[in-house]
Amino acid sequence: MLDLYLNAALNGILLGGVLALLAFGMNLIFGVIKIIHMAYGQCVMLGLYFIYTLVTHLGFPILLACIATVPLMGVVGFGLQALVINPLLRAKANPLTQLLALAGLTIVLENLAQVIWGADLRGINVQLPIISIGNVFLRTSNLIAFFGALLTLGGLYLFLNRTYMGLAIRSIAQDLDSARLMGINPQAIYYLTMAAGGLLTALIAAFFTPIYAVHPHFGGSFTMMAFIIVVLGGMGNLLGGFIGAFIIGIVTSVSAAMTSTEIADIVALVIFIAVILVRPQGLLGIRVAK
Amino acid sequence: MLEIQSVNVYYGEFQALFGISLSVSEGETVITVGPNGAGKSTLLKTISGLLHPRSGSITFMGNRIARVPAHEIVELGITHVPEGGRLFPQLSVYENLRVGSYLKRARGEAAATLKEIYRLFPILDERKKQLADTLSGGERQMLAIARCLMSRPKLILLDEPSSGLAPRVVSRVLDFVHQIKSQGYSILMVEQNVRKALKLSDRAYLMESGRVHKEGTKQSFLDDPYIKKAYIGL
Amino acid sequence: MRTPLILIILFAAIGLFPVFFPSPYLIHIGTLIFIWSFITTAWSYMGRFGLVSLGHGAFLGLGAYTSGLLFNFYGLSPWIGMILGGVVAVLFAMLIGYACFRFGVIGDYFALVTLALGEVVALTIIAFRDITGGSLGFTLKSKGTSLLYFQSEHKIHFYYISVAFLILALLVWKWIDRSKMQKALRAIGEDEIAASTLGVGIIRYKMIITSISAFMTAIGAVLYAQYITYLNPHTLSGVPPSLEIAFKAILGGMFSLWGATVGTALIVSLEEYFRVAYGSTFVGFSQIIYGLALVLLIIFLPKGIYGSVQELAKKKRA
Repeated sequence: MLDLYLNAALNGILLGGVLALLAFGMNLIFGVIKIIHMAYGQCVMLGLYFIYTLVTHLGFPILLACIATVPLMGVVGFGLQALVINPLLRAKANPLTQLLALAGLTIVLENLAQVIWGADLRGINVQLPIISIGNVFLRTSNLIAFFGALLTLGGLYLFLNRTYMGLAIRSIAQDLDSARLMGINPQAIYYLTMAAGGLLTALIAAFFTPIYAVHPHFGGSFTMMAFIIVVLGGMGNLLGGFIGAFIIGIVTSVSAAMTSTEIADIVALVIFIAVILVRPQGLLGIRVAK
Repeated sequence: MLEIQSVNVYYGEFQALFGISLSVSEGETVITVGPNGAGKSTLLKTISGLLHPRSGSITFMGNRIARVPAHEIVELGITHVPEGGRLFPQLSVYENLRVGSYLKRARGEAAATLKEIYRLFPILDERKKQLADTLSGGERQMLAIARCLMSRPKLILLDEPSSGLAPRVVSRVLDFVHQIKSQGYSILMVEQNVRKALKLSDRAYLMESGRVHKEGTKQSFLDDPYIKKAYIGL
Repeated sequence: MRTPLILIILFAAIGLFPVFFPSPYLIHIGTLIFIWSFITTAWSYMGRFGLVSLGHGAFLGLGAYTSGLLFNFYGLSPWIGMILGGVVAVLFAMLIGYACFRFGVIGDYFALVTLALGEVVALTIIAFRDITGGSLGFTLKSKGTSLLYFQSEHKIHFYYISVAFLILALLVWKWIDRSKMQKALRAIGEDEIAASTLGVGIIRYKMIITSISAFMTAIGAVLYAQYITYLNPHTLSGVPPSLEIAFKAILGGMFSLWGATVGTALIVSLEEYFRVAYGSTFVGFSQIIYGLALVLLIIFLPKGIYGSVQELAKKKRA
C-alpha cells in the first residue's frame, strides 16, 4: 500500500517539474503584462499538435520536431500579443473583460484544433523504458520531463537575473512607469514575454509528447491546473508558482492513487476555491486591494 | 537646451497645465516652486513623456519631443527622478543602478560609471546587495539620483528630492544635487523647500494652479517680497 | 402602445409557426432555441448586475441529474424532480454565494471560482459513474407520452412547453426589474464599494438574485433532459456549457430582456447552418466563428461590453 503511494508521490514530484514550467510561463505573463493568459494550456495543446504533425505527416524525427516547434510557438506567442493582448490593453479592458476575451480565445483554439486535426486522440508512440528502484517504478519519460524542466527553470533564472533583458522584464513587472523612465520600451518587453511564454509551451509540449496523446480538449485541464498552481503560489510570484506546482503535483498524484483521477481533480479545484476565498494572494503573493 | 512653449496638459477632462512656457539652458540649474497641486509634477511628467500635452511644443536639443514616448525621450538624454524615487522595490541597490544603464549608449560604460557612482555615494557600495525596499528615505533618494546618472544624461529632472525627509537628510541630499550641478549637468528641479532649493539654483519659476506666475533669476526670487512671505517664511 | 402589439404578433407567429411549417427539424431547432434562451435568460439575471458566472453548468448538472436519477431509480415524476433539482441548485448556490460574497470575491475572481465549481460538479458526476453512467451519461426510461412523467413522443408538445417556460423567464425578468432589488443591485453593479457604504445589504440581494438564477437554470436543465431523454455530463455540466451560456448572453446583450434570446437564437442557428451546410467535417467551425466574433466584440467595444451598453442606456435616458 505504502509503495503505491510512494510511487504516486514520486511521480507527482516528477510531474510537478513540468507543472512548474507551466506555472512559470503563466506567472511571467501575469507579472509583466498583468493579464491572465487563460488559453495557456491550449497553447501547450497546439505545441503537441505541431510536434505530432511534423512527425506523422512530414516525417520529422521526434527530436527535430520538438526543436522546430519551439520557434513556431514563439511566433504564436508573438501573434497573440499582437492580435489579442495589445488590443485588450489599448482598450483598457477591466480584468473580467480580459478573462472573457481569453476564454473566447480558448474556444477558438479548441475548435480550430478539432477542425484541423479532428476529435480523436493524436499521439506519437514513443516507448521509453521504466526504471525500477526497489519497489518504486519511475518512467523515463517522467524523469526526462522533470530534469528537463529543472534545467529550463535554471536557465530562465539565469536569464532573468543576469541579463539586461531579464532585468528589463523584472523592472516592467515591478513598476511600469519607472521602467519606461529607464529607457525600457514596454511594447518590446510585452512581445518578448509572450514569445518566451510561447517557447515555454513548446518545451512543455516536447516533454509531454512521450507521456500524453493530444485531443482538442487537452488544453482545458492544463489551463485549469496551471491556474490552480499560480493562484496557490501567488499570482505573479515565480517562486510561489514553483512551490505550488510541486504541492499540486504530489497532492493530485496521491489522491488519484487513493481514489480516482476525477476525485484528484476535485481536490485540486477545492484547494483553488479555498485559496481564492480565504487567501487570494496565495502563499507568497502580496495582497492587492480589490 | 530645453524649450517648453504654451503647453496644455489634461488628465481626462481636467486641465492641469495652462499654457506653460519654460526653458532650461545648458549647464543651468532651474528650479520650479509653488504650492501642492500647482502642476509641478505634471510638468516634469510631461517633459519626460509619461504624459503628453494636448497642445503646445516641447523642444530638446533641437528635437520636438511632445509626442515622443517616454523610453525614447530617455534615449535623447533626459532622465526623470519621480517623487519618492520610484525605485524597483524587489531589485537590489546594484540591480537598480544597473537598470539605470539600460540604454545602449550607457551600457558600454556601465562598469566605469558604476565605479564613479560608488565613489560619490559610498553608502550605496556598502548596501549594494540589499533590496531597495530596505533602505532609509535619504538613502533611497540618493539611489534614485544615482540611478539616473547611470544613463549619462544631459538633463536631469528632479521631482521634490526633499519630500518626506528629515531636515538633516534634506541637506545631505541637496548637497549631492549641488555636487551633480558642479559636474556640469543641467538640472530642472521641482521643490517645496524653497529656501534651500534657491541656494542651488541659477534661475527659478513660480507655478500656481497650473500656470507660471513668475520667472526670474535666483536673486530676483530671493529679493521678491511675495515669495519671501509666502514661500520662504521671512 | 406599440409594444404589446409587437409582442402579440411575435407570439402569434411563434405559436402558429408549426402549423404553417410542420417540419420536425425546424420545430426541433425552435425548441432548442427556446430552452436555451430560457436558461441563458436565467443566467442574465446575475450577469446584468455584474455577477458574471462562468459556472452555470453546475446548476445545469445539479438540476438535471437530481431529477433524472430520482426518476430512473425511484420513478419520481420529473415535475417534482424539477422542483427538487431546483432546490438542490439553490442550496449549492447559497452556500458558495455566501462564501464568495462574504469574502468579497467579485469580478474576475468570482468568475474563476464559478468556473472551478462548474468543473467540480462535472467531475463529481463522472466520478460516481456507477450511478450516473459517468462520461457516457444515461438515458431516461421511456414512458411514452405522459404528462405525469414529462415525456412525449411528439416533439411539438415540447415546442409549446418551452415557449411557455421562456415566457416565464421573461416575466421573472420583468418582475426583477420592478422590484426594490433592482435598484440595489444596479448600484452594486456599478460601484460596489459606494453601495456598501449606503448600507444596501449587498450580501442579501446578491444571494437572492443568485438563488433565482440557480433555480431557473436548474429547471431549464430538467426541461432539456426531458426533451432529449438523455443526460450527459459534458452537455449538462462543466466548463463548455457554462462558457456557452455566458457567451450567448454577452453576444446578445445581457442587459436587455431579449438579449439572451437573441444571442441564443443567433448561435444555435449558426451552429445548425454549419452542421447542415458543411456536415460533420466542419464540426466546430461555427464555434470558431462565434468565438472570434466574441473576442472581437469584447476587445473592440471601446469601454468593454458593460461600458458601451451602459453608455448607450445612459444616452437613451438623457
